Amino acid sequence: MTTLTLRSAPKRAWWRSRVVRRFLSHRLAVLGLVMITLLSLACTLGPYLLPYDSLQIDLRARFAPPLTGNHYLGADPLGRDLAARLLMAGRISLLVGFFSMLLATLVGTLVGVIAGYIGGWTNTILMRTVDGFLSFPTIFLLLALAAALKPSPIMITVIIALTSWMTVARIVATEVATLKEREFVLAGRMLGLSRFHIMFREILPNAMGPIIVAATLTVARAILLEAYISFLGFGIQPPLPSWGNMLNGAQQYLDSAPWLAIIPGVAIAIAVTSFNFIGDGMRDALDVRGEHD
Amino acid sequence: MTETKKTRAGASRRDALHMMAAGTAAGLFAPNLLGKPAYGQTRPTTPKGRIVVGVTQEPTVFNPLMPHIEVDDSVHFSVFDALYRISPKGEFMANLASEVPSQANGGISADGLNWRIRLRNNVHWHDGKPFTAEDVKYTLELIVNPKFRAWRTTGHALVRDITVVSPTEITWRLEQPFAPYLSFLTETFIVPKHILGTEANPSESAFNKEPVGTGAFKWSKRVAGDHIELVANTSYHGEGPFIERLIFKYIPDMTVMYTQFRSGDIDVAGQAFITPDNYKEASRLPDRSVTLVPAGSVESIYLNLEKPQFRDRAVREALYMAIDRQAIIDILYHGVPHVTETFMPPQSWYYRSDLPKHEFNLARAGQLLDQAGWRPGPDGIRVKDGVRLSFNNSTTTGAHLREQTQQLIQQTFAKIGVEMKILNQPAAVMWGDFWGKSQFDTAMVGITYLIAADPDVSLRFHTRSIVAKGGRGSNNAQYSNPEVDDLLDQGTRTFDPKARHEIYNRVQGIVRNDLPFLPLFTYNRVYGLKAKIQGFVPNANTRSEAWNAAGWYWS
Amino acid sequence: MAAFLLKRFMQSIVLLVIVSVIGYVVLNLIPGGPLAQYALDPGMTEEDRNRIATQLGLNRPLWVQYFDWASRLLQGDWGTSFRDSNPVLSVVARHVPATLLLMGTATIIAVAVGTVIGIWGATHRYSIFDYLATVGAMVALSIPTFWFGLVGIYVFALRLGWLPAGNMYTIGDGSVLNYLHHLIMPSVVLALVHIAIWSRFMRTATLDAMSQEFVKTARAKGLSERRVILKHVVGNALLPMITLAGVQLPSLLTGALVTETVFTWPGMGRLFLDSLSNSDYPVVMGLLMFSAILTIVGSLVADIVVALVDPRIRLA
Repeated sequence: MTTLTLRSAPKRAWWRSRVVRRFLSHRLAVLGLVMITLLSLACTLGPYLLPYDSLQIDLRARFAPPLTGNHYLGADPLGRDLAARLLMAGRISLLVGFFSMLLATLVGTLVGVIAGYIGGWTNTILMRTVDGFLSFPTIFLLLALAAALKPSPIMITVIIALTSWMTVARIVATEVATLKEREFVLAGRMLGLSRFHIMFREILPNAMGPIIVAATLTVARAILLEAYISFLGFGIQPPLPSWGNMLNGAQQYLDSAPWLAIIPGVAIAIAVTSFNFIGDGMRDALDVRGEHD
Repeated sequence: MTETKKTRAGASRRDALHMMAAGTAAGLFAPNLLGKPAYGQTRPTTPKGRIVVGVTQEPTVFNPLMPHIEVDDSVHFSVFDALYRISPKGEFMANLASEVPSQANGGISADGLNWRIRLRNNVHWHDGKPFTAEDVKYTLELIVNPKFRAWRTTGHALVRDITVVSPTEITWRLEQPFAPYLSFLTETFIVPKHILGTEANPSESAFNKEPVGTGAFKWSKRVAGDHIELVANTSYHGEGPFIERLIFKYIPDMTVMYTQFRSGDIDVAGQAFITPDNYKEASRLPDRSVTLVPAGSVESIYLNLEKPQFRDRAVREALYMAIDRQAIIDILYHGVPHVTETFMPPQSWYYRSDLPKHEFNLARAGQLLDQAGWRPGPDGIRVKDGVRLSFNNSTTTGAHLREQTQQLIQQTFAKIGVEMKILNQPAAVMWGDFWGKSQFDTAMVGITYLIAADPDVSLRFHTRSIVAKGGRGSNNAQYSNPEVDDLLDQGTRTFDPKARHEIYNRVQGIVRNDLPFLPLFTYNRVYGLKAKIQGFVPNANTRSEAWNAAGWYWS
Repeated sequence: MAAFLLKRFMQSIVLLVIVSVIGYVVLNLIPGGPLAQYALDPGMTEEDRNRIATQLGLNRPLWVQYFDWASRLLQGDWGTSFRDSNPVLSVVARHVPATLLLMGTATIIAVAVGTVIGIWGATHRYSIFDYLATVGAMVALSIPTFWFGLVGIYVFALRLGWLPAGNMYTIGDGSVLNYLHHLIMPSVVLALVHIAIWSRFMRTATLDAMSQEFVKTARAKGLSERRVILKHVVGNALLPMITLAGVQLPSLLTGALVTETVFTWPGMGRLFLDSLSNSDYPVVMGLLMFSAILTIVGSLVADIVVALVDPRIRLA
């Protein structure tokens, strides 16, 4: 199953392809996809439908428990509507997760392809750098970098990506290293194709499976990491809500207003679980033996 | 504590003490603060029992002369003695000294330059060696020894010609008159020469891990990351101690500390105390005594006066008016703190109560800005001469009540066309150059202005204390007013309390008018202790709730 | 073997240098620094802070500080904590027992429960149990540990009052029972994630082993299914677990950080957080190097053990 054969395969409607069929037969993955779609829709549209703005302070409503009037999920210590905040926070958290994944995947793929294809010293240097990054406790890198840089959503995205690209790089490097010995690559070389062309046009498309799986799992991980650093107070800063920083203040009110801690936690759990399910389904569908399992 | 020894000090400084006592807001304190006799009979004759004090930061520095934070003070006050101490009312009480020096008793010369201290002669170090004037000399010299990693040197750097006259008498000369030094000495704990003096490097001595003092409690052990245990010094030269063991338990989270106070795991909820959120619930707990105790610190919004937005007094006035201070105090802080208009803590004898009162009035604030020429721009934010009335407000991350306050202020500011963005930083970042070198726009901070109750605030408001302009001190607002500078200089040279009272009254008036910071409130700490603990005396003039642990006992 | 070890050793040295440089630079990038904690001290002047910075050697160029630190480290001197002027080694050592107790208990729980779930799942493949275990593991891996902690505290400490909300023991008690009582919630919370990982690994490993020839042979010999599983399958499935254990070694240091924070457990995770927020460079660097060394040793041990146990793999 080389690119040559894949590419020359007769075009079939994508939704009937084997990959899609296998993915759809994975019930949890479908559930995950549905959940994420719903969650994204809710976060995109929801804030327009709710009667409250996520930043609107109303001290009379502070600590309103869920189902008080129009505060479906209650209100926070400043009387801001929790549902509105949850959805706005979802925007931030999901976007941070998504863009961290994008950045991490780009960097990881680039490093992986170069290291895997060129090999030799380049490979040694790049892979030792990967090892170096992996030898840090993630939480150290995250907290130290978050303290060093201004914790805006963009910076948090970059920081999370900075601690997540290594896994992708490793997977890609291994994959590329095996692919480059395959006949279609040798053929490409004989045809005098440029290195760049071979790396990114011939090899990369064949390594997409593992990359997609790793990317999906990276989103899950990124959402979790955002929650961790924001919980420890180093992440996204108020008044901008994120799922993580909504939990930050919540321990204080665990006794009197437990919903402040429970609700954002449930949102995080749903989002992360969904992405993990999707990743699992992708792995089955794309027939990838993952590092994660 | 050692209140029995303040006899001569009280008599000799009669004038000052009378005035101080009169000026103190007595109502803020329990009536019987130092009035031990009322329950004197029930005190145990031998130390009995154990008291566990919860603290939310870990005490790690046990050499009292080395750089440390508030929570370390509790250990220092228990293990060590200073020459004299300061009472909740701001009186000096002899401790290692047998009398408090003053110009009246001849301890301090009329020009304020020559000092003579008489010491008690029955004091022993925990290892049994006698305490003498040599220890005092050694301590004062060690502080300014360039090789020693000392804490504060302000005041100490002025000391010259330290002479040991006899084991119980020591004299020195000050380079220039410096009245606050009297107060500084209440926080200068004396260390043993016979132990530290033999060390090649006192900064890294074993003493720093297992300190030896003259105080009411002896060092026992430390379980790092968890707690510190002190035991009674049965041969203490003063009164007490009445408990066998004093434990400082490190609980890194205020909520958890409160939970453990409620469950009874800790006997005293110490530094950083019970959060205002929990005050109401805490005060209903059975067998607990929960009280509001004024603290020395004032919460305010610091303005960086060098930023173009804040050069205009009208802006500062308008911003002050646009803060719904009552809502912050009553709702966010559950009515725990007190309003204030000045940096001086209300329990200080120097507190000025007749300053203009703050008024929350958005319409008036808007008018002020209009009159001053700040007109709304296209985005609704006011502009004048190309300067947008937009700025950041910073505080440390994770301070949830401050974050709530910021967001409330943000909202009322927005209503008058002022944009306040929140830019919070982790503590290490916030308190670095960002604060020290005045790189912030505005900051929400709680600041203790007085050092051991001395009213001198030169370090905060004197022009030469602006670090960003090459000065020395912590005038982070970059406040500069020649009149205030003159008054402050006068204040440090003046020893007469009446004259100083007049000086600092004027300083407070000018600062209130200039508004280098917008006062929000003065802190009340929510102290919690088990009702059966007796002899507990809060003291806003120290940084520690355990300053008189020697007097604590179980009923 | 010797050549292999030498090569790995050299690579490890390079790795450690990289880690220490990155760590040192990142740490120093954080504005503020060790003296920031005195910023609000009313009596301390900028001059005082400068003097202390010079005394601590913080006013030197960064590379000078780094080489000074590194050369001391080579001589076995890990430096002195800024915060509690004790040697870094003793500061760290004093926090080790608490973390070991927590991590040890959590690991025992995780291995025991995870192994059982994994084997049961593999031998009863596609059963309801297997399905639930798979889903459960995935959900457990998707929920932040601290949230489990918060919910645990809310339910078991605040509402039911069965378990303490934090701490390692009650002062003045400190009996074994008291320790156990405090240990239950944090170790279970910490174990949840590890159970998920172990059970997934165990399931895969068991499935692999079951498809091996010798298992079929054993079955053919008429051994009972129970004996086949316990003796042949499990024994072989444990091999990959050794690898996992090696890889998990460094999490000893920081793996419990969040759990320790939520439950105010006086271990290394909290030391790390306290030291980081106070910019106590020597301690943070020390913990960082320990963690890196553990990572390297962990993966090395895993490689060697696997090679020794399984003759099919040769080290190269």
